[in-house]
Amino acid sequence: MTWWQIILSGFEALKEYIALHVLTCLIPAFLLAGAMVTFVSREAIVRYMGAATSKLRSFALAAGGSFFVAACSCTVIPVASGLYYGGAGVGPAFILLWVAPAANILALVYTGAILGGKMVATRVAAALLMAFVVGGTMSFAFRGEERTRAEKTNPAGQIAAQNAKVMNRSDLILLILLVLALLAPNYIVRGGPYWQKVIVWAIGMAAVFSYAFLAKTREEIRHWMRETWWFVRLIFPLLLAGVFVVGIIGALLPEAWVTKWLGGASLRSSFLATLIGAVSYFATMTEAPFVHKLIGLGMGAGPALALLLTGPGLSLPNWLAIARVFGVKKALVYVPTLIVLGTLVGWIAGNTVLR
Amino acid sequence: MRIEILGTGCPKCQATEQIVRKALSELGLEAEVVHVNDPRKFAQYGVMLTPAVVIDGEVKTSGHVPSLEEIKRLLAG
Repeated sequence: MTWWQIILSGFEALKEYIALHVLTCLIPAFLLAGAMVTFVSREAIVRYMGAATSKLRSFALAAGGSFFVAACSCTVIPVASGLYYGGAGVGPAFILLWVAPAANILALVYTGAILGGKMVATRVAAALLMAFVVGGTMSFAFRGEERTRAEKTNPAGQIAAQNAKVMNRSDLILLILLVLALLAPNYIVRGGPYWQKVIVWAIGMAAVFSYAFLAKTREEIRHWMRETWWFVRLIFPLLLAGVFVVGIIGALLPEAWVTKWLGGASLRSSFLATLIGAVSYFATMTEAPFVHKLIGLGMGAGPALALLLTGPGLSLPNWLAIARVFGVKKALVYVPTLIVLGTLVGWIAGNTVLR
Repeated sequence: MRIEILGTGCPKCQATEQIVRKALSELGLEAEVVHVNDPRKFAQYGVMLTPAVVIDGEVKTSGHVPSLEEIKRLLAG
């Protein structure tokens, strides 16, 4: 294969991707992300997480709340450190650090559109399970430190719930409409022709904007559009670059190689997939087209799940940032725990639910 | 006046700094503008959502890139 053909396959992938995904999938996804930043008070969610008193409750709140904090691994670090240094336990802080990128609504809906509902359901269940184990491991490994930290924390400076409101009813309705508009074209018209998807998409968008103009002020809508535009500017170039690279990798990687090292449901395949995901940086949502391509080349469903989980949640730059903010020791417990869990989850799911 | 911009060096934080500088020059004000990128310092201000703008030790905005008018209003007030 000449270098020209290799570059060309990158552009082919880009062309296919833009034609199939931008209108019906990405535009609603970015609008949803923008709406979440504008209408959902992340501040309130984080405060509830920090204020929870019992351990189980704080774990559950951290895991559940993280779904709505649409973020990639870079933006979630300040949120998690704010939670931690604001007096919350080490468990909830690291749960947020893990779940927010690995299973946020944006990435999940997008995964569903590309890889199907079963993979999403498994991804959610696995991410939650791993969250609880990681939270438990961190709390246990640093229990001594946690005790002295709790004594030192000044109760007045501690995070309080302060009756913070997460969102009101019109915000919720708007978000539900957006999720529906995002899901409908890809689920109702699964195998149908593209123009049918566009019609369903147009109806969905019309519903979203009619409701927005009725229930929201001009100022709120302007704010929402500004935030949406930020997501487009930040994620879209990364996504295009990612798809281009995926196209090239797809052309370079021999199928036999993928089948051998990442195929099936063996422990080794799952471990290798986890490792690829844990080391390399995937911006939110880029993991889905990458995994899709690898599945096409013969990757097994279990290893695919492992890569989907660790891809956006962990990366080498992210390890370094965690070590800098939380200390080297915590990073040394957190990262290996997730690699072990990712491998096990991929292996078990590959031999059971995803078989 | 001392203005701190809390952010991890992300594009949104850079944009916030630019807007603050623009607002200052349009209003003809002098101020020291610093970019704080240590998340432990954010916690001292009680800030979790970046980018945030802190004017003279007081958190004014957090979690979004403020608009030029918003910053001008804060600087004038």
